Amino acid sequence: MDLFEITINLIKIAVIFLLMVQMVPLLVWVERRGSAFIQNRFGPNRIGPLGLVQNLADLVKFLCKEDFLGHKGRKGFFYAAPVLSLIPAALAFGAIPLSTPIKVEAFHWLGQSWGPYIFHFQSFVMGIGIVFVLGVSSLAVYSLLLAGWSSGSKFSLYGALRASAQAISYELALSLSIVGVILLFNTFSFSEMVTAQTGPLSFHFFGEVVTISFLPNWGIFYQPLGAILLFVALFAEANRLPFDLPEAEAELVAGYHTEYSGVKIIMFYMGEYGHMLVASALMVTFYFGGYTFWPFLTPEKINLFLSSLSPTWNSVLTAFILHGVFMFKLLFFLWIFIWVRWTLPRFRYDQLMDLGWKTLLPWALVNTVITGICVFLFA
Amino acid sequence: MDIGLNHFLLVSLLLFSIGLFGVMSRRNVLVILMSIELMLNAVNLSFVTFSQFYSLLSAQVAAFFVMTISAAEAGVGLALIVIISRKWPKRNFLFERDPEKEKKY
Amino acid sequence: MEILFIFFSALVLYGGLVTVFHRDLVVSALHLAGSMLALAGLFFILGAHFIAGVQVVVYAGAVMVLFVMVVMLFDLKKEDSVLFSKGLWPKIASLFFLIGLIAGILPLSLHLFQPLAAQVIEPTSTKELSRLLFTKYVLAFEVLGVLLLLIAVGVAVLCRSQKNVTTS
Repeated sequence: MDLFEITINLIKIAVIFLLMVQMVPLLVWVERRGSAFIQNRFGPNRIGPLGLVQNLADLVKFLCKEDFLGHKGRKGFFYAAPVLSLIPAALAFGAIPLSTPIKVEAFHWLGQSWGPYIFHFQSFVMGIGIVFVLGVSSLAVYSLLLAGWSSGSKFSLYGALRASAQAISYELALSLSIVGVILLFNTFSFSEMVTAQTGPLSFHFFGEVVTISFLPNWGIFYQPLGAILLFVALFAEANRLPFDLPEAEAELVAGYHTEYSGVKIIMFYMGEYGHMLVASALMVTFYFGGYTFWPFLTPEKINLFLSSLSPTWNSVLTAFILHGVFMFKLLFFLWIFIWVRWTLPRFRYDQLMDLGWKTLLPWALVNTVITGICVFLFA
Repeated sequence: MDIGLNHFLLVSLLLFSIGLFGVMSRRNVLVILMSIELMLNAVNLSFVTFSQFYSLLSAQVAAFFVMTISAAEAGVGLALIVIISRKWPKRNFLFERDPEKEKKY
Repeated sequence: MEILFIFFSALVLYGGLVTVFHRDLVVSALHLAGSMLALAGLFFILGAHFIAGVQVVVYAGAVMVLFVMVVMLFDLKKEDSVLFSKGLWPKIASLFFLIGLIAGILPLSLHLFQPLAAQVIEPTSTKELSRLLFTKYVLAFEVLGVLLLLIAVGVAVLCRSQKNVTTS
């Protein structure tokens, strides 16, 4: 670890965090215009081209709002909760690989030789990345509970209790639906999982290798049930619309953030959209090949295509092209999140719990058992 | 300073003692349950420390079991507390201060 | 590693102390959660990555959320609770226990464990751990599964019978 490596790593962490935060206004704009498109309205179209500057105007409005706390509220917890809501999403997004690592050859600069480096395209690398992401995203409940309790309002407390019960219930289904993929690719690390998904669809079938040459080796072809279960559970974890019971406007005013105003509510929104980003990134990495797109965009092919460049620039360009692929897939899933929000109505609370405990959990168990038997028989 | 086995064990010991003090001298049932969790955590820390320094993986399996059992224990304990407080709402088992009673004495 | 160890262990002990000595139950529960997260950090620098992950998922993510939920449901005011029981003996007993433990462990650890202190810690592989879990300790693992099922059913039965009593 020398100065260059430390500096680049710090910049990288900051840039990935900013990438997550900067997606929020874009997503809010897409959400507004998209909902308008789905409901045959215009949406925001007065301020700036296509209403793009509307968010800036809203931000000014939020910044000018009064900082309000009810007289039964608890001050410290009330201010801590919005900040806490940002942390889990940021940590989880930092652990997901966004592209291939960049390999920098040894070079001379400022009269000194700098050794060869490898920069991973993620904030930090962990061998147990999946367990880490699961654990960190289970901490998101605290901010909701604290927000609801410290507001000193009944609606907030009801919202917080609903949110925490929902999050704990759906976490089971979420973890169990991931077990299938872990069994299949036999790893806890995200980048190994992505590497296993590049190439044509090929698997062992009673000792013979079956290869289907026109399909990529994505997890969705092995685990369609797991993918559906995970997607539903992720919707519930992100508190998005078919599952947004914690902030059901018709029943609970605005749920756990009823009493919040100004910048604090923006932080809650950032946390929610951060959860959406993490959820989409998990879907992409587990079931849709991560940052590769076989047969056209794999690291080897792009390396070959760019072979006239020097190895360092080749690696940098490859990483950024593959990052573009990842972002494209990510945006597709984010659009599905928005699409579903404006299509499906909200569940009733008992329906939500029934879906979690009586439908998702048994099917996730069935999926795990069948995957285990298949891996045992065929591999 | 080299961080070795005894440093980790010292942290584990202190944590266990804090938990023990909580169990023996606090009156509130919820805090007693939390202190039991603290003690279990301290034991887990010493398990994992020994497993890493003596490269015994079985100790980590034991830590894993302790975690599972303590989760189960917390579930049962909290359910019992909620049920008791619902069944006997007058019974002051959380030891809240009762101003009228204190005036008498 | 030294800095990380001091940081995490200070957090663990601070969280534990606040848990035991604070009047406000919510503050207690939240500090316990923080203490458990810091303990996961200690597991991580020890090299037990999987146990650290399980610690975060199980303790901080599930058990403590349950605690915080129950505490918030009771909604106690911080002035309304008597902190310690009146007897002096439990405190003295736990103090003596602490002294005895320190007196017992320090001489042993100073002499016996000294050569091992400089040993390099290897991160354990999750595969080895799970292999051990599913071969040598598979019976205990299954018994734990039965225990968890029993507890889930038991808690459900407890809550249900309570509801019948109040409605009838």
